[in-house]
Amino acid sequence: MSIKIIKKGLSDSIQDNGRYGYQHVGIQPAGYMDFISAWLANKILGNDLNNPVFELHFPTSEFLFKSDYTICITGANFVPVINEKSVELFKPIQVNKNDMLTMLQPIEGRTCYVAIKGELKDYSWLESDSFSKQIILKDQEFIFSENDNTQSYVSNINKILIEDVQKLVFDHNSPIRIIPGPVWPQLTNSSLTGLLKNTFTITSQANRMGFNLMGTKLNLTIENNFLSSAVTRGTLQLLPNGDIIVLMADHQTIGGYANIGQIILVDLPRFAQFKNGQSFHFELTDLENANQLYRNIYEKFQH
Amino acid sequence: MKIKIQDFEIVTLGDHAIVFSLAAKMDTKIVQKITALSAFVKSKNIHGILDVIPSYHTLTIIYSITKFLHKNKSVIEQVVEFSNTILNDFNNESTNIKTTQNTIIKVPVCYDPIFGIDLENLSNAKNISAQEIVSIHSAIIYEVYSIGFLPGFTYMGIVDEKIQTPRHDKPRMNVIAGSVGIAGLQTGIYPCNSPGGWQIIGRTPWNIFNKSENILAKFKVGDLVQFYAIDKIEFDKMNEHNL
Repeated sequence: MSIKIIKKGLSDSIQDNGRYGYQHVGIQPAGYMDFISAWLANKILGNDLNNPVFELHFPTSEFLFKSDYTICITGANFVPVINEKSVELFKPIQVNKNDMLTMLQPIEGRTCYVAIKGELKDYSWLESDSFSKQIILKDQEFIFSENDNTQSYVSNINKILIEDVQKLVFDHNSPIRIIPGPVWPQLTNSSLTGLLKNTFTITSQANRMGFNLMGTKLNLTIENNFLSSAVTRGTLQLLPNGDIIVLMADHQTIGGYANIGQIILVDLPRFAQFKNGQSFHFELTDLENANQLYRNIYEKFQH
Repeated sequence: MKIKIQDFEIVTLGDHAIVFSLAAKMDTKIVQKITALSAFVKSKNIHGILDVIPSYHTLTIIYSITKFLHKNKSVIEQVVEFSNTILNDFNNESTNIKTTQNTIIKVPVCYDPIFGIDLENLSNAKNISAQEIVSIHSAIIYEVYSIGFLPGFTYMGIVDEKIQTPRHDKPRMNVIAGSVGIAGLQTGIYPCNSPGGWQIIGRTPWNIFNKSENILAKFKVGDLVQFYAIDKIEFDKMNEHNL
């Protein structure tokens, strides 16, 4: 009746689209880092896109299935194996009672998703199943509703969607697109040039809260000290030492550092899959384009 | 994108948020107006709005791109139209709503040095007796300006100039839940055990953040708060923290 974690990974959690509606009391939204890969895993299984999934980082947890399930693995390729036999990503996989799932090696990407066909029980807090610091795990066992039929599940997903998503999420060469933030006009000219021309690198200070970047140091024409206001996923905060931190899914709700820009929503999954040491460029885009690009991918999941 | 409507400046925050801001200062009138606008926006139950977050002089609205915005129409036009409508309605309708004076929430604090671990240093640095610091701190009616950093962490002001003091250079590894601290012109309460740099002068027995869905945070932005001193025996009796 359940899925048991027999060895805990370094930074694994359960996530859905996030817990919105409570940021005014300081509760961060959390949610999928790479929402496109997570949606894909659910779509392949015929789940709701927002169904809770396991989000894994390498080295990952090891799972024991205590009954039969259909699962699907997407996102990063960590070489998944079931009972030591390798299994494919982007396909429904039948697992049987007492099967064990583990991941051997981080080949591509940073964040892997394991979706389960069925519903997670007794877990929701404030209408979401996403982990947050306020949810303390009592045990390491998660109850999903069981398969109601013993036939192996055949996905009716359009193969082109899988290819499109792969191209989008694992494109390491295209720039990460940003929109200017409230403090953009206060960046010095040389900082603006540096931000848009030079490369930035993901440092080892990168987790679900935020990714610290290494690159050109940036300066403001004013003091970097603001009354705190709301931040959101993708916010580029300029730290007092001139470095940038990009806020990710587990960001605090408010921040007092300069908000110089925002990564557009559609590029966040790709950015979230960057490993430590990955270098990239920023590129300026606008609101209209950002919204259209997001809508395009969202609509591909609607049919 | 940046526009001005009435005394608000409106900017977009990336592709899924809008910020309404007034003059950037800690000011009663400003935070009250932000709080009123926040309540107004929420009361409208607008489709696609995910979060409404007041903080000091800003109100941030987080929206779902696909639910809040219409397809095939300029985003900027929609944001301008939304902002105009909401602020006009706010102006027209809020004059009809009687501004209810907030009741003052009286918060018990035990300023005993076993809890107020920075009280003695503060007293020495300011050359004011600990007792006097307590009476200065508990004399003022504070306003809640922001909630964040941790779920339920309450930023209040404005602290009397005589006892304003900056954060510790190096944050403590663990500040205990309920701790009441000072940072510059702000005073605040830690909702849970956490690393933190504020100057700790006491502890409230109240649990100011509760996971229960119908409780959550004890305070909201715009609330009025006044502290009153209790002794260790009263603290123990009132203690809501999990021991």
